[in-house]
Amino acid sequence: MSLVLIVLPILAGAALFLVPRTDRTVSRATGCIVAAVTFLLPLIAGGDGSITARWLSRPFTASLHFAWDGISLWLVLLLALCTFCAVLATNMGQTRTMVALLLLLEGSMMGLFTARDILVFALFWDLMLLPPFFALIGWGEHRETAWRFLIYNFSGGLLLLLATAAFGVLYGSTDVIGGAGHALVGGWATWIFAGFAIAFAVKTPLFPLHTWMPATYADTPPPMVSVVSAVQSKAGLYGFLVIALPFMSAAMAQWRWIFIVVSLISLLYGAYIALVQTDSKRIVAYSSLSHLGLIMLAIFTQNTIAIEGALVYIVAHGLFSAALFLILGYVEQREDTRSLTRLGGLGKVNPMLAGALTIAALGALGLPGLAGFVGELVILTGVFGAGYFWPALIALIPIVIASAYMLRLLQDIINGPEVKDIPQRPDLTWIEGFAVAPLLAALVVLGVYPHAVTATVAALFGAHSL
Amino acid sequence: VITNPYTTQDWVAVAPLFIAGGVALIVLLADLLARRYANRYVSIGIGLAGLIAAGAYAAASYGQPPHNAFGGGFILGGFSIVLEEIIIVSAIFSLVLYGGIGREDRVAGATALMLWSTAGAMLMAGAANLMTIFLGLELLSLGLYCLCGLADRPTARESSLKYLILSSTASGFLLFGMAMLFGATGSVTLASLTSPAAASNPLYWMGGGLFLVGLAFKLSLVPFHVWSPDVYEGAPLPVTAYMSVVTKAATLAVFARFAYAAAAPGSSNALLIPFFIIAGISMIAGNLGMLAQTDMKRLLAYSGIAQIGYIVAALAGGTPLGVRYAIYYLVAYMFMNLGAFAVVALLSTDKEEGSRIVSFHGLAQRRPVLAAAMTLFLLALAGFPPTAGFLGKILILSTNVNAGFPWLAGLLIAGTAISLYAYFKIIRLMYDRHAPPQASAAARAPLAYAGVAICAAFILVMTFYPYTPSNVLPLVK
Repeated sequence: MSLVLIVLPILAGAALFLVPRTDRTVSRATGCIVAAVTFLLPLIAGGDGSITARWLSRPFTASLHFAWDGISLWLVLLLALCTFCAVLATNMGQTRTMVALLLLLEGSMMGLFTARDILVFALFWDLMLLPPFFALIGWGEHRETAWRFLIYNFSGGLLLLLATAAFGVLYGSTDVIGGAGHALVGGWATWIFAGFAIAFAVKTPLFPLHTWMPATYADTPPPMVSVVSAVQSKAGLYGFLVIALPFMSAAMAQWRWIFIVVSLISLLYGAYIALVQTDSKRIVAYSSLSHLGLIMLAIFTQNTIAIEGALVYIVAHGLFSAALFLILGYVEQREDTRSLTRLGGLGKVNPMLAGALTIAALGALGLPGLAGFVGELVILTGVFGAGYFWPALIALIPIVIASAYMLRLLQDIINGPEVKDIPQRPDLTWIEGFAVAPLLAALVVLGVYPHAVTATVAALFGAHSL
Repeated sequence: VITNPYTTQDWVAVAPLFIAGGVALIVLLADLLARRYANRYVSIGIGLAGLIAAGAYAAASYGQPPHNAFGGGFILGGFSIVLEEIIIVSAIFSLVLYGGIGREDRVAGATALMLWSTAGAMLMAGAANLMTIFLGLELLSLGLYCLCGLADRPTARESSLKYLILSSTASGFLLFGMAMLFGATGSVTLASLTSPAAASNPLYWMGGGLFLVGLAFKLSLVPFHVWSPDVYEGAPLPVTAYMSVVTKAATLAVFARFAYAAAAPGSSNALLIPFFIIAGISMIAGNLGMLAQTDMKRLLAYSGIAQIGYIVAALAGGTPLGVRYAIYYLVAYMFMNLGAFAVVALLSTDKEEGSRIVSFHGLAQRRPVLAAAMTLFLLALAGFPPTAGFLGKILILSTNVNAGFPWLAGLLIAGTAISLYAYFKIIRLMYDRHAPPQASAAARAPLAYAGVAICAAFILVMTFYPYTPSNVLPLVK
């Protein structure tokens, strides 16, 4: 069953290239149906949708093995939801091509999140880089952005490949994700972990490997960037959770302080830059750097509560960053600018748009009642409870700064004096509204009932649930 | 009474060579008779039929126990048959391309030369003594010297002459090395080089070194690679496609046999490690060289230098799996390289402007299917999934880690990272929406389209069905 999640979007995406270039309706309808099917399938089908076929038997065993249990399920749902919203929000020149790329991206990332084999994981890891690359060469404003994105991420992917090969040779099999395998032992384990960790850190991204990210997020069209920032950036975190944590926890502990320090630097640095940027997309990009640093910190404390919080925050960040990028896309489409200095007073003319932006931004700054707050709170509790007093304290600072830059974003776009030389544009159409509504609704639901997510981690890693 | 020392089985082993070589004569004869009619199709048709017959005949012996034909001169076994098939398939592709874009009055000659070269390459695939190795190599090269000059551009003459001079030099090294190896061991068969006494003889070391230098020349490994971009650029496009696979596959067969079976015990590492080091350097230097190219043929020449480095790396450590993965990657390389050349050929007119990189600018607007196919081939060359290039690299990396050559794996990763820009530069050009309109050459080669489709299909299928032949060892009996 889980194969449907991968094959259906990829086939549909490829088939869309047969539709005329100027088409809008057919491609968006197809995209929405496919995304909806991939969202509902795991919920309706139940079970773990496991499917497996032997791929390699030498030099190590590898299987085309897919399933959607545990942590995967949350990322699968998040991905399907974000794709649905992004397809619905796509309204641009070359809509057909964008929707096709979104579906290809969904299929490749479904493969990544449902893979139960590290080699399959590595295959989809590289594959998911292609749709954003094509989006960047098609729509990007700067030629070098596409190169930076590709070269950074694919170099990470190559390290992942080398680490996977070494893992397979030492372990005898790569068909291990989600299984009850023993930990990797031997002197090589720490270097294999380093290979995985660098690849994951580039993708997340983590300071100082983040320099591809702001430009990529700013240059990629809103529908694509909403999925990339909401879900693709979670691939590295997911990798830490399902590959590094179960199999290389000793090596993780060995590298712990290095990662805790760079996570804290990412947290502080991202928040500080977000405070001074004037490009609205870049503000959200840097805030992502900061937020994902917090998740990384949680993972590296290797504490169950912190990891429960991390998973909640992974989903929450996906929801609000997808919503933010989509809404900022609407703003850019109307006002033709992303610069905070040129925007202002949208609250008066576009109240619906302003309302949606407010909810998303409040989610990002961690307003109690929304999912972001729960994630931050649980992470900090876990980090503190695990005995990391100073890291927890330092991590608190950027959470406060987050309020400052998110409110600044709101204030400069929604309030403030109306900018006169920009022509007035209509408020959200019902389709545009409907495209962000599910994300915002999910943000509220998870904020009130986070237990659904935390139970997953508790089931996987033992210990008590919240 | 003169008794015939050779058995029927010996002749069966080399029959595919004779088929290929004999059909070349028929091509020439048919050309005399059919010159006024559809000369192009007659020559290509006969040539293809001959190659297919040779391939089918060779395939029929697959699975039988290895046979030492002609007293150890030629070994018929899993390895030689697989290599022969690789060579034949590449020759078929190249002939198809030549039929599409070659000049009418040259088709017959080119077909015959290509068939003879193919016979030489097939001889190398099974050659197990120094004499047959040299015989095969010279037969392969002689045909290629002429083929390289078969174009109207001045660079064709440069290409031909350069290849003649440099390749002869390499043959000189090879021959001198062979003479010393013979002096050290008193035998020309590769199997007898394994005698422990040989390792203590300085002649063996010098001979082995010179022999490997000669092979490195033919494989165009750094620092013996400078001829290949120039020769590739000047030669007609189908000939370039042919050389990029057949010469390398045949030389690789010789190297594999030498490395796996013939190097004296104890000496093997010390003698071969420099070879693996230059393979590692080739991965870096070849990919670096690609970055600045503006001509597809030169770009693919540098790409080939690096790709051969990967394949040689698979043989490091002499593991039984290594040779199978080398074959896997060689087959993958054949399909991706020939596919890329076929796309270039489909964009070319007689003057071969299609090989300039600018002719790919905005290709996705003009020929979307062709652009998609080219993207797949470039992704495969770069080692991107879901292509055989990706899986091939994983297999090579794991043999390297397994055999204790992690540094080769590291160089492979570094080289691949460098190659990324060069391959994706073309992809970006093809999908550039702001490309100036330009006329596309009218393709008149339906077979070449079929070739592109076949290459693309194999690259995808091989990823998920990574079949490698299990009966390739032993390489020498």
